[in-house]
Amino acid sequence: MKKMLLSLALVAFAGTAQAACYADYKAKQDDPLRLHYGVAEIGGTCSAEAAAQELRSRLARAGWTLLNVVSVFDERGLDERQDSAGPYFLRF
Amino acid sequence: MRRSGGRVVIFGIVAIVAILLVAAVLLFLTLPDANAFNARVERIFVENDDLTGQAEIKLLEILAQSGTAFSDTLASYRVVIFVLLVFATAMLIAALVFLVMLVTLNRRMAQIERSGIQVSSLLISRDENTVYLNNMGFTLTAAAMETLAVLAEARMDDDVLSGAQIEAMISGKGEAECDEAAGATRIKRLRDTLGNQLVSELMVKTVARKGYMLAIDKDVIRVL
Repeated sequence: MKKMLLSLALVAFAGTAQAACYADYKAKQDDPLRLHYGVAEIGGTCSAEAAAQELRSRLARAGWTLLNVVSVFDERGLDERQDSAGPYFLRF
Repeated sequence: MRRSGGRVVIFGIVAIVAILLVAAVLLFLTLPDANAFNARVERIFVENDDLTGQAEIKLLEILAQSGTAFSDTLASYRVVIFVLLVFATAMLIAALVFLVMLVTLNRRMAQIERSGIQVSSLLISRDENTVYLNNMGFTLTAAAMETLAVLAEARMDDDVLSGAQIEAMISGKGEAECDEAAGATRIKRLRDTLGNQLVSELMVKTVARKGYMLAIDKDVIRVL
């Protein structure tokens, strides 16, 4: 019984670790100033710093400058942010 | 005195230009940067985490664009300020130069006043037997006229004439035959007639049918 519980906890832990990681961020373009708020999937470690590093290069390829990462979350947070992100929802 | 005056002028002009240059540089440096508005909008966007709505972001972008339009106005302000500064420099330099000119002119006037009558023109009219000193006409006798003409000619050649030479030139005789005293007499007569008329013109005026009056500003008279 105890073993089963432990294995269940392990599975649950692994599940959260495996869960998809998303970050919402803010970015800009200069001349003229353009701003956007977007949501992107993060492949690496699920932390704000790692997300910022990953996003910075991804956005730079499209000509955007990352301003900041607001937060990181899993798929449960996607729905509430879809409206705000609009065209930048999972675009980069 | 003249040289130090010139130095003062140069120093003043340099000081004016330097002060206005410093003012111009300060003005241009303190004028807001064209990008200041964009930076501010960007900061508002980053600092407010809940500012994520699409409409809100659009509004921020419009704000930034109006700021950019304002920066064009700033550029024209810069030109206007620059032109005004150039005008100010020119005006100040002109004022300084006029001031120095006024001072030197005043000094010169004082010198002229001290040195008495300053002859700025001498016109000898042989036909009218008249000599015009600063446009004041004095009638002379024919003999005095001759003496004055001889002296004027000698002055133009930078010559100094003795009494005998004057007598020789007027009478047409040789210099050796002429008497020094005769020339001296001619000079004395010229001085008497011209001096008399000069003094009556400049100092002791004759008022017709009334009498005589000193032609002098009453403030300058002092009796000890």
